[in-house]
Amino acid sequence: MAGRQPVPGLRYDLTATLDDRVRALCAAPARQGELAHPIHAYLGGLAAMPQPIGDFSRALGLAFDAGPVLGECRLSFPGRLRVGQAYDATVEVLDLTRKPSRRFGRADHLALAITLSDPSGPASLLHFKMITPVVDDG
Amino acid sequence: MADRQDETGWRFGPVSGPDMAEWCAFLRDDNAIHLRREAAEAAGFGPRRVNPGPANLAYVISAVMAAHPQAEFVEIAAFFAGNVFEDDRLAVALTPEPGATLHAEGRETPVLRVQFRFKEHE
Repeated sequence: MAGRQPVPGLRYDLTATLDDRVRALCAAPARQGELAHPIHAYLGGLAAMPQPIGDFSRALGLAFDAGPVLGECRLSFPGRLRVGQAYDATVEVLDLTRKPSRRFGRADHLALAITLSDPSGPASLLHFKMITPVVDDG
Repeated sequence: MADRQDETGWRFGPVSGPDMAEWCAFLRDDNAIHLRREAAEAAGFGPRRVNPGPANLAYVISAVMAAHPQAEFVEIAAFFAGNVFEDDRLAVALTPEPGATLHAEGRETPVLRVQFRFKEHE
């Protein structure tokens, strides 16, 4: 599974209205100029996946409905996320490994990379690891 | 989501179920542990819905943005060590490296540790 080629996702339309709402949900300061809240690297990354994260995970054979959790993530900003701009997503499966788990007994560790790009190039990169319980050996 | 700053850092909460549902809609995430209490309980998380991890990270980023209003991020690295549940009250403690930790009221260890790198001013 690891080493799959990056696949194109959807377009993320980062509007001022959306950014305002996100800021309200997380008690962020008011926007300065056009610069969007950095969490859009995550929100846009998942929103613009070719399928919702649940369907994407189920298609990989993961027990998404058993309640996966986030392990870690990294947001990088080679460019800027701005309101009033649409971004194209690219999604890559970096790794999928089954490991022993203290919490779940065994768990599948999925590592994904999602890039949001505007016409000038990549604006944000999201790397994250999601841990999903193993409920069936299949 | 009320917030305030005091001498110990930033405080948020209580975390609400409707807010969780809104985060899930933005994320297109139908993980039921965020949406239904019975699903959270069945998955071993207890009787309260589980806040989506990116929402927890957003609280921390917001606190850092408030503390460093001119700063622009180059990189944000987050390590999720625990879960936040509905009705939790949260506090963000800023650390000098620069970084921050997110604490849920009543729990000793942070639920989230975050490290930041800022852009050099151009």
